[in-house]
Amino acid sequence: MSATDKKSLADRLGLKVHSGVGNAGWGRTVFAAVISFIYFFPVFWIILTAFKTHNDALAIPPKFIFTPTLENFVAVFSRAYSAGAAAQDTGFALYFFNSVFIAGTSVLLALAIGTLAAFGFSRYPLRGNDTYLFIILTTRMLPAIVVIIPIFLMFRVAGLSGTYIGVILLYTAFNLPFTIWMMKSFFDELSPDVEDAARIDGSSDRRVFFKICLPQVKAGLAATAVFGLILTWNEFLFALLLTGVDTRTVPVAMAQTIGGDIGVRWGLLAAIETLFLIPVIVVTFMLQNHLLRGVTFGTIKR
Amino acid sequence: MSTIEATNLTKTFGSFTAVRNVDMSVGEGEVVCLLGPSGCGKTTTLRMIAGLESVTEGEVKIGGQVMNRLPPEKRDIAMVFQFYALYPSVSVGGNIEMPLFYLGLSAEERSREVARVAEILQLGEVLDRLPGQLSEGEKQRAAVARAIVRDPNCFLFDEPLSRLDVEQRHSMRGQIKEVLSGLSKATVIVTHDQMEALTMANRIAIMRDGMIEQIGTPHEVFSKPSNVFVAGFIGSPKMNLLDGRLSAVRDGMATIELGAGSMTFPVPEAASALGQSNLTIGIRPRALEPVDTPNERSLTGQVELIEPMGAETLVHVRDDDARDLRVVLPRERKVTPGEILHLACDLSQTHIFDDSGLAVR
Amino acid sequence: MKKVWEVYPLRVAFASIPAALIVSALAITLLPPSVSFWVSGAVSAFSAFLFVAYAWGRHAGGLLVAPAIALLFCMNIFPLLWSFGLSFFHYRANRLAPPRFAGLHYYEKVLTDPVVWDRLQVTAQLVVLTVSLQMIVGFLLAMLFAKQFPLRRVLLILVLTPMMLSFVAVGAFFRYYYEPTFGLLSQAVRVFTGEPYVLLQSTAGAIAGIVFADAWMWSPFVMLLVLAGLVSVPKYLYEAASIDRISHWRRFWNITFPYVRSLLMLALLFRTIEAFKLFDVVFLLTEGGPGTSTETIAVYVYRVSFQYFKTSESAALAYILLFTVIVLTNLYLYFANQRNRT
Repeated sequence: MSATDKKSLADRLGLKVHSGVGNAGWGRTVFAAVISFIYFFPVFWIILTAFKTHNDALAIPPKFIFTPTLENFVAVFSRAYSAGAAAQDTGFALYFFNSVFIAGTSVLLALAIGTLAAFGFSRYPLRGNDTYLFIILTTRMLPAIVVIIPIFLMFRVAGLSGTYIGVILLYTAFNLPFTIWMMKSFFDELSPDVEDAARIDGSSDRRVFFKICLPQVKAGLAATAVFGLILTWNEFLFALLLTGVDTRTVPVAMAQTIGGDIGVRWGLLAAIETLFLIPVIVVTFMLQNHLLRGVTFGTIKR
Repeated sequence: MSTIEATNLTKTFGSFTAVRNVDMSVGEGEVVCLLGPSGCGKTTTLRMIAGLESVTEGEVKIGGQVMNRLPPEKRDIAMVFQFYALYPSVSVGGNIEMPLFYLGLSAEERSREVARVAEILQLGEVLDRLPGQLSEGEKQRAAVARAIVRDPNCFLFDEPLSRLDVEQRHSMRGQIKEVLSGLSKATVIVTHDQMEALTMANRIAIMRDGMIEQIGTPHEVFSKPSNVFVAGFIGSPKMNLLDGRLSAVRDGMATIELGAGSMTFPVPEAASALGQSNLTIGIRPRALEPVDTPNERSLTGQVELIEPMGAETLVHVRDDDARDLRVVLPRERKVTPGEILHLACDLSQTHIFDDSGLAVR
Repeated sequence: MKKVWEVYPLRVAFASIPAALIVSALAITLLPPSVSFWVSGAVSAFSAFLFVAYAWGRHAGGLLVAPAIALLFCMNIFPLLWSFGLSFFHYRANRLAPPRFAGLHYYEKVLTDPVVWDRLQVTAQLVVLTVSLQMIVGFLLAMLFAKQFPLRRVLLILVLTPMMLSFVAVGAFFRYYYEPTFGLLSQAVRVFTGEPYVLLQSTAGAIAGIVFADAWMWSPFVMLLVLAGLVSVPKYLYEAASIDRISHWRRFWNITFPYVRSLLMLALLFRTIEAFKLFDVVFLLTEGGPGTSTETIAVYVYRVSFQYFKTSESAALAYILLFTVIVLTNLYLYFANQRNRT
């Protein structure tokens, strides 16, 4: 019997020598899979519902096996509002565009301004550096409702309500604290030796920043951007109060679909949610290594 | 009975074989050092004995009992880890107390035991501190104290002194040796430092690439290295290893061609069986002595580099074949770079290794 | 001779804050809102400029952080200061009447208002329930995922997904699941009782519904933090523990738990801050009902300011929330820094 055969036999019989941490076998996988599936079930069920006809979605008892249909996805963008009427544009194409456009622009702006600031806070601490950083984080930790009251008034007075500029500016400010804290945590981790060496070799500060530091935090930049996109993409209250008919984002439109009178079209709502969630799920998968840092605004690194 | 026996011990990680057919036994009260360069499998061997690593093939016996399938808990052993593995949130006293809970002693007995070993290792004053507040030397002693507080089957040390500075290492070496000699347990120490092995061990097992190259007393491995690797590994400065060719053996006198020159000296009988073949001569740096006139046992070269070592001086001599010879001279013997030296070798410290690197005796 | 702002630039900058406040207050009292907005904007921009100028003079760092600070000042700090000012005046956003000075009237009103205390109580109840449920579930999930096993990463993502979803989507999910006739919950209950089940109709049910949805969404967060602690325990400590024959119970408390403790504390604070702001899920699931039994303080502030348009009162309320959050955030950062240092 060869050595490898012996090892796998020992594994199969559970005779392997145990230490405190380390590998648990397939038994743990099965258990974890059951738990994970239960945990994921609400999301899974919504995605299933999105492919059901209106009657299937309301079936009692719930249907696990059904003929999938894409009618809900079509209806998201274009449907007849009353029986027999011609199909109309629902505006959801615009709302999706708004969500992408507003989130994309504000995240890019925040990334540009925030990365610079993070570098400043990390490399050239001001007097009272921590106080600045604390204030910056606090603005992000505040209940949205506290911030929204004055901003609502301010936007109304300044005529920014319902405009792209207003919403984008607000979301940029909303993303800034997060970007600064995240990027600072990445900059703090870089070894200063490389930068010192570059300075001794005569590189200017600007060159050090662009040629030496930025390339090292590329992954961090990507993670920060994606997190910012998710946060902005998901945001509801600001969007509810500050977007107009033309600048409405998906979460607001979605809430209005639920808020409708009797007979919410659940299949349709599920289709909207599915379209809305899939980018987030895909991105979560890509982000897994930075998840911890992201959800704690860079305050916990490992 | 406190003994350790490993028979044909083998460990593979995937296709990589970390330890290959290791056989060794440690008797009661004996200290065996596993010595070798990093990555030679010495730590893996120790971890297999401890039960922290599963055994791919072979057998581990502790106290005469086969332990292969038993987890570390059931082996009744004590181990000192390379990074000490002191529980960071528990005080030093608490750390030393930890192994005692299993024995079901009363609180009073436990604290008496802790006080006893704390006194042996001079830890009385730091018992209430956390490991993070200790110096490296104190951490080291705390780890040893935790190991000796109970009465295990055997002791295992994984690179116990590697984190200490030179001076602390020196004093700890003596302390550990003293503590161990009073306990009469089988002990295995893993180290990469030959001074540590030579001073602390009753026997040394020198490992390379997962295999034991030689196992013997410190005196044996130094004076009778069984192959070229051991010869080069043990001893400082390193032994001079000269590649040559055996041209003739007559009446127990061998003539060996060494590039440009040649040497003639008496060799053991086994050498005559070799016939004409390539071999390696090993000469310790302290076995070379400057002589005024060259003879058939001397090498000639030019002094290139002089490294004073305090009591002695290490001189690098470049010979005619551009070989670098290391020679240790007494401090009083003054040399200057460029000087021509004739070096005669002390035959009692000269070793011959055959074509495959094994010692010829 | 040096001017005062050259000698004490930072003090001048700080002095400009009360000055800006006074000017803004005067502007708000005396001028119509559309003018006073730009006046206060200008003074605060000037005050921000002083800070930036100070930083500029000192270091290149000032230059780098200036745009960020300026934007945050305009979009966050200034509006907050403005609403702080408003909280001392009688003002309703849907009336044209100019603000009248009210002093501490609204603070007094808010702090003695039984409705506010009731909403705070509701909030506290929800915070305690949801945070403790999250901590327990999150901890158990972390224990489950602490060891390596095949497919661990994939399964981990399944569990982590809820945390990344939008509140609106989660609200919508659970509205569908709690729906009285064909919702999954009601149908599951009917199997046993034969009656449809309307969860959100009773106070306890509505609270349970919210707590369940919120805990489902945020347990993964706690898990993520605890997991970070669990995997940071050096393996050799467990090896030493097995050689020292330490019991599993003692192993957990003396080795594992100390590594998780600080992260557990951080998770607790972070989740408390977030739960304190509980708005979206409540708003979408129950709209505060039945009655006002699940109306959290955040939902209440929303109603006061955007449904009753009692702007000043809501500003005063908001400042009380703000104060609480600042205290909690400070605590959080204190613990986070302590952890990062060791």
